[in-house]
Amino acid sequence: MNEELAWVLQAQQGSDEAFTKLVEDHQTHVYNLCYRMLGEPEAAEDAAQESFLRAYQNLHRYDQSRPFATWLLSIAAHYCIDRLRRRKLSMFSIDEENDEGATYEIADPASPDPEVESVKREERDRLHVLLKDLDATDRAAVVLRYWNDYSEIEIAESLNLTVSAVKSRLHRARRALAGMWQEEKPRARAGRRPYETPAF
Amino acid sequence: MKHQPFEDWLLDDKLISPEQKRELDSHLRTCAYCSALAETGMALRSAKMVAPREGFASRFQVRLAERKLVDRRRRFWGSILFTFAGLIILLWLALPYLYTFFSSPATWISVLVEWGVYLITTIRALAEAGTVFVDVIPSFLSPFMWMVLLSAMAGIGLLWSVSIWRFVRAPQGA
Repeated sequence: MNEELAWVLQAQQGSDEAFTKLVEDHQTHVYNLCYRMLGEPEAAEDAAQESFLRAYQNLHRYDQSRPFATWLLSIAAHYCIDRLRRRKLSMFSIDEENDEGATYEIADPASPDPEVESVKREERDRLHVLLKDLDATDRAAVVLRYWNDYSEIEIAESLNLTVSAVKSRLHRARRALAGMWQEEKPRARAGRRPYETPAF
Repeated sequence: MKHQPFEDWLLDDKLISPEQKRELDSHLRTCAYCSALAETGMALRSAKMVAPREGFASRFQVRLAERKLVDRRRRFWGSILFTFAGLIILLWLALPYLYTFFSSPATWISVLVEWGVYLITTIRALAEAGTVFVDVIPSFLSPFMWMVLLSAMAGIGLLWSVSIWRFVRAPQGA
């Protein structure tokens, strides 16, 4: 029996300590999914905490034949999808929200070329903004595919979809991202002022 | 070469041969859409995990404790409300009998006998009505309708059992 399963079994017996170990182990994956889905650190923190609470309350339903991470991320993904749908219903635009603190990725100081790193970071930030315009389920599929390295089968299990539906959603999302990327590119270039260059 | 295979390679993140790589590179120089697809693919593959603020697990423990407290309070007040409502209904139903109980023994013995007679006659009447019902109904209802009726009753029974189970079940670890 692996260590994680032992913690799960202990948590199922009512050990909060064992469940906290599971939280420590999976917090980054769950938080990252919520952050990429919801777009803001505060909402992501709240969603990640709520996902863990839901997992805790439904631990007796966990099927031990499935990986715990897949089950947990499935809960988080569904919670974020519901939250985005509710947000959409209340006509609340996430684009208008304050993005302060939304960027956590810091360029590696040991990187051989800081300029390349800076460009990469800029592209990742742009990608993060573009992700917000995707359909909630498509966004979840993209995050699970590229951040969690999930296979199409694992994504299908997590999101209760068929493998072909996952494939078509991923293709649709990639096409949409490419389209938005193309539209944003001239704007991004035009938006840059001379005083924004590192020389000034 | 047409546009489609390049798009498929990029969308499926396929491994390609050096020859295909050269073809793709020359296509990317002329096709803005595929170039954007390649750039987004690279950005997605180089995307980094974002970790929560320090102390996430501690904050979770606090939140869990708060949630447990709320659940405990809700269950406590729920059971108080349930008990009081039940007691009031019981009192309301038993009040006439209690009233008789505190009157003279002759009165409550006569009420008891009266109630017993009422109970027996009601049961007999119901049994007789049931017999008539069982004799008459099969000729009115087709076997299919019987099947539907019994399935509906079984469904309602199941729903009732599940509702009771969900209501009495305490959350995990609470």
